[in-house]
Amino acid sequence: MAATNVGSYEHSTAKLHTVAIKRMAIHAIIFFCFIGLWEFGSRMGWLDPLFYPRPSAILHSFWLIYVENGNIWFHLYATMSLVLFGWIAGSVLGIALGSLVGFNPLVRRFLKPYVIVLEATPRIAVAPLLIAALGFGSMSKIAIIMLVCFFAPFINTLSGVVNVNEDRLELFRSLRASKMQVLRKLVLPDAIPVIMSGERLALTAALSGALVAEFIQRDQGIGSLILVYTRNLNMASAFACIFTLTVLGFLIFKGMEMLDRYIAFWKYEEGRVRISQKRREKMKGTSHVG
Amino acid sequence: MSDRIKTGNLKNQGAVPASDANMPVFDQLFDLALRLLPHLALFIAIIAVWEIAVATQLITSIIIPRPSAIGGAIVELYITKGTIYRHFIVTFSESVLGFCIGAAIAVGLAVCSALVESFRRYVIPYAVVLNVTPGIALTPVIIAWFGYGMGSKIALAAIISFFPIFVNTLTGLTQFDEDREELFRSLGASKVQVFAKLRVPAALPLLFAGLKIGLTTALIGAVVAEFAQATDGVGVLMSRFSFQLNMAASLATLLSMTAIGLILFYSMEFIDDQIVFWRRESRREEKSRARAKAWKKRAGK
Repeated sequence: MAATNVGSYEHSTAKLHTVAIKRMAIHAIIFFCFIGLWEFGSRMGWLDPLFYPRPSAILHSFWLIYVENGNIWFHLYATMSLVLFGWIAGSVLGIALGSLVGFNPLVRRFLKPYVIVLEATPRIAVAPLLIAALGFGSMSKIAIIMLVCFFAPFINTLSGVVNVNEDRLELFRSLRASKMQVLRKLVLPDAIPVIMSGERLALTAALSGALVAEFIQRDQGIGSLILVYTRNLNMASAFACIFTLTVLGFLIFKGMEMLDRYIAFWKYEEGRVRISQKRREKMKGTSHVG
Repeated sequence: MSDRIKTGNLKNQGAVPASDANMPVFDQLFDLALRLLPHLALFIAIIAVWEIAVATQLITSIIIPRPSAIGGAIVELYITKGTIYRHFIVTFSESVLGFCIGAAIAVGLAVCSALVESFRRYVIPYAVVLNVTPGIALTPVIIAWFGYGMGSKIALAAIISFFPIFVNTLTGLTQFDEDREELFRSLGASKVQVFAKLRVPAALPLLFAGLKIGLTTALIGAVVAEFAQATDGVGVLMSRFSFQLNMAASLATLLSMTAIGLILFYSMEFIDDQIVFWRRESRREEKSRARAKAWKKRAGK
């Protein structure tokens, strides 16, 4: 019985494998058909290459901006350093204020109307104001990124702290848990995953905020590079920059997922296993010493 | 309350006392005024401190203008000169049109992908690629494609608002209660019935959460595209004012964007409340009472 089970299992994995390969192949075929059609249409003159660059032209400009001229590295560095700095500063501020407001019902009551108004305002729209107030340069860019980053962690920290499971809280209270224990063992384990999803939103918003700031300032960074390339109708290079941002966005997404798995490990099965194994080993070590 | 988190707003978290139908109108008004009073006092106090701080040169008035100057700018923009209305309408219609286009495409694709599994498989990678690309990065390209007029703003608003709506609709349509589906099947429901009576109602709350997010992002898209290049719109007006260092007028324009955002958000909230009536207790009861009345009437005939 067991043997047949194993056999069928192996059989099904092999089947799954071939299905997966087949699907990947279909994906690739669709993708290349699309690219081929685009290239063909462009070469036939149906698509104006001035506005809709050919895939081959985009590939060539990837080569140009990364290797031959290598001018994108400088701009990438300029943008990403600001994004990281602004993100960290903004989210620290957001989490701090969010928990302050969350633990204080009076402040929460009085702050609510302002939060509603702020939420409805497109925050990126403050960019020209901040640039006028703080001048051109990285100061105003960081301020814009911080402002854009601040809100998601703030709201999520607030709702994570406020939305405590009432039944559990009652259990904690009936077992006479201290305030610190309630915070550490009840509030934070539920709030941290919510805060992390806020951080993820914030980092994506940070990139957008940096781009808008660069569109307005037009000095350095990917945003201004895209703007300059488009103004010169060098669309292929502009698209190369945009696809760079796609890759960057993907890396941000994956990076935040990894960070989430590391920090909020109790949400994931393998994280729980990893941490419990670690703790078990630690316990073993102390018992040996003892 | 937990479904409020997804939409990311805090509106219904405060303890709002249920309005008693038997209470006289005057008492109700008095109660409301009493509750609003501390808020109003705080607001006036903040404004006063701000005004004094600017008047005594604690804050430079070039960077942060006086509240009275902002008030003056609002009066000028809205009443004496009335310049804002043209720009207001332009931005408003850009974001609404962009949102409608984005939402139509998003909901259409999401319904197709929810119904046909293979379609979903081949659409999702492209949707994800579109999502991880910061949509705002497309601004210069979109402007080159669609020109300096309203077209480019509508296009950017549509692109930016697409993904949240798509994802929420798709999740809503694919995540439904298995037990309920079994009940539907055991009662011999057709595929159309399962879709219309089970999957769509289950998806609607999430769909509306997505629509609300999409509407706010559509406004952002329209405004950012206006910053980049435009002739009309609140975004242009605001960047013009800030580069003239006319901060008071610039802030007044920013407040008009808030007004657009609030109008858009609350209209969507209203539609949400009308369509997804079962989400809120009071609305559900109201609706069921209305239906009971209708049924009674029919039975009486």
